[in-house]
Amino acid sequence: MKRIILKFIVYSIVLLVSLELLVRVFHLHNERPERYADEYGVEKWVPNQTGYSVTGNRKQNVGEYRINDFGFNSVYSKYQPSKDSIEIAIIGDSFIEGFHQDYTNSISRKVEKKLLNIKVFEFGYAGYNLAEELNLMQAYNHLFKDIDRVVVYMRFTDDLLTGEYKLSSRLSLNTPLNKLLKSSKLIVYAKDIGFFDPIKEKIAAVINFSRGVSEDNHKKKNNDSLYLENFKKLVNIYNYNKEKNVLLLDYSLCSQDFLNHLKENNFKTIDFNADFNKVNVPKTLIYDQHWNDIGREIIADRIVEYIKNENLSIRKN
Amino acid sequence: MLFNSIDFVIFLPIVFILYWFVLNKNLRIQNFLLVVASYVFYGWWDWRFLSLIAFSTIVDYTLGILLDKEENEKKRKLYLWTSISINLGFLGFFKYYNFFVDSFVEAFTFFGQEIKVETLYIILPVGISFYTFQTLSYTIDVYKKKLEPTKKIVAFAAFVSFFPQLVAGPIERASNLLPQILQKRKLNYCQSKEGLRLILWGLFKKVVIADSLAPIVNDIFTNYEMHSSPVLIMGAVFFAFQIYGDFSGYSDIAIGTAKLFGIELMSNFKFPYLSRNIGEFWRRWHISLSTWFRDYLYIPLGGSKESKVIGIRNVFIIFLVSGFWHGANWTFVFWGLFHALLFLPSFLLGTNRKYKNDASLSSFNILKVFSNVYNTLLTFILVTIGWVFFRSNTLTDSFAYLKIIFTDFSVENYIHPNGYRLIDYFLLLLFFLVYEYIIRNNERNPIAFKNRYLRLAMYILLVFLMLLFYDDGVDRSFIYFQF
Repeated sequence: MKRIILKFIVYSIVLLVSLELLVRVFHLHNERPERYADEYGVEKWVPNQTGYSVTGNRKQNVGEYRINDFGFNSVYSKYQPSKDSIEIAIIGDSFIEGFHQDYTNSISRKVEKKLLNIKVFEFGYAGYNLAEELNLMQAYNHLFKDIDRVVVYMRFTDDLLTGEYKLSSRLSLNTPLNKLLKSSKLIVYAKDIGFFDPIKEKIAAVINFSRGVSEDNHKKKNNDSLYLENFKKLVNIYNYNKEKNVLLLDYSLCSQDFLNHLKENNFKTIDFNADFNKVNVPKTLIYDQHWNDIGREIIADRIVEYIKNENLSIRKN
Repeated sequence: MLFNSIDFVIFLPIVFILYWFVLNKNLRIQNFLLVVASYVFYGWWDWRFLSLIAFSTIVDYTLGILLDKEENEKKRKLYLWTSISINLGFLGFFKYYNFFVDSFVEAFTFFGQEIKVETLYIILPVGISFYTFQTLSYTIDVYKKKLEPTKKIVAFAAFVSFFPQLVAGPIERASNLLPQILQKRKLNYCQSKEGLRLILWGLFKKVVIADSLAPIVNDIFTNYEMHSSPVLIMGAVFFAFQIYGDFSGYSDIAIGTAKLFGIELMSNFKFPYLSRNIGEFWRRWHISLSTWFRDYLYIPLGGSKESKVIGIRNVFIIFLVSGFWHGANWTFVFWGLFHALLFLPSFLLGTNRKYKNDASLSSFNILKVFSNVYNTLLTFILVTIGWVFFRSNTLTDSFAYLKIIFTDFSVENYIHPNGYRLIDYFLLLLFFLVYEYIIRNNERNPIAFKNRYLRLAMYILLVFLMLLFYDDGVDRSFIYFQF
């Protein structure tokens, strides 16, 4: 009896060590830069970090990132907009941050290549919601005031969960325990491919059960009206600039009331859903919801089309 | 409860520890634990259907004792038919009621008569076809006086509900399983080791082979009209491996788990895709079901010994019934018929038993190797065509799918909506086939290399492949649960 248990334990340890080595040798794990909150209370990446972001099983998507002086993934080391030239900013979450692509091939770079003499600055940070995006713009108003257009990417279903800015709990990911866990590349890989999800779901189900919370009721709750209210609140708090800012949206995720509100109140928007539907090939990565190169190309085209229609250069002159 | 779920990862060690360390002094209590564990295992899915298993257990236990006591042949027959009627009655109601009603209505509509009969919303109890056949075999064996009925109801309940094989087999015979349950068991190092290896191999087949091919198969079979022959062939071949990985993976985990409890279950698969004719295929595929039909249907009907005509009739009967056992759909019936037609030539020529005692593809004679490879490939192609009927939603879809395979040879660059990299799957299947060929003589110990470092390397490789191909988006249930 002892023999089988002892052997099982020894083999398990050898197995885990071997898997850790294999994950490292084949670099299957994802690398994440360090986070911090700057002097304005804005959460960003610690400046000047580089690395490789790996998503999907079997290393299906690899992207090199480069965090610039300002704390965002970009080819530009510094963001220095001027009154004499045309600059566009794209703000958003991980979709805009684009760790799943080389930083030299980001949406902003694609836009720049199609719009000559226009600089595009990126302010993408995984997990940003609209409150955080607007807070960034307000905190760095001295920078944004010289930027001519700000494209704000927003997912209606995810980015309006709150109507006020709060420093997120993401910073707690830098705890010593998390750092220790992250030092095992096997754990990082297993976590990223969803290997621990069933365990997390089970724990959540047990907690919900003990609290008497029905999962179905929790899921079915329609939050559309709450999202709309949060949106209105944020627009008021941050004095949203309807002239300068453009919302980049997937209309198919938005409620009709929200779309009506945007239209009635003259918010500028770019919808990419129709263009996504026209293309009959995958627009997202394998095992990952983020846009692949085709998806990013479509997004870039939509932004370019919007900017061209606006005739920004003529207006500025 | 699924073998590949976190629930089972917690459940198995608890039952194992209780079984060997806490309740190991008394056989009856140990068997009682098996019954409780099995009922928890089954009730995890839907506790309401536990009553069916309990009822079936009580009925067959009682009838077994009555059959043993009774000398009057008429009464014995009555007891036998009571068991058959109750067991098949449940099966018929839960599995086939709506099918018969729908088919009846369709038949009348075809002849111009519109009739309205209500179908019922019936949930199919998981594994009903498996445990029904298992309990039936007990009563039939007792009736034929091949088996002494047990008076120990706890042991009998453990035989009916033994959790490793309760929901998807192997369908055990009472003559094999019951004596093991009635005997005091000892934890055996070699048996446990083999059990763990089989569990690992079964998980690999399920998680890596079946689950990773499933999304591609689903996409191709759902949108078959949009594809040409090469893609549909790929879909059918992938399904052949998906269903094999899924079902044989389940059987391996079941056999391996049973070994951990000191119980040997029968083999259910012996590398069926290395078969050289259909007869051999059916001696290697779902062995517990095919031998069940052989022993309890084919032979009682006269087998092949009475006359060729009766033999042919019996072949058609068992293949059609086997198809129908899988599900209440004409696609399964036609799949059975298709296999009967494939089997018929070798049955008539008397070559169906040709490879009965031959280890697969092991000859050194180069000419024989060529003919073996040719026969194996041909058998695989025919079996794969059969899988198209099995996998399609309707017979019309099956024929339309096959029509495209045989008519539209245009080259197409298949892209799955999730963008899966196809080369990964081709390499995976190549590895799987080569490895199956290497271990072809020992389905019960798939990682039995003498060199311990080679064994260790194999463990690492299998777990590493599980990590590489783990897909958290797929439906992790087993295909054969629906049967």
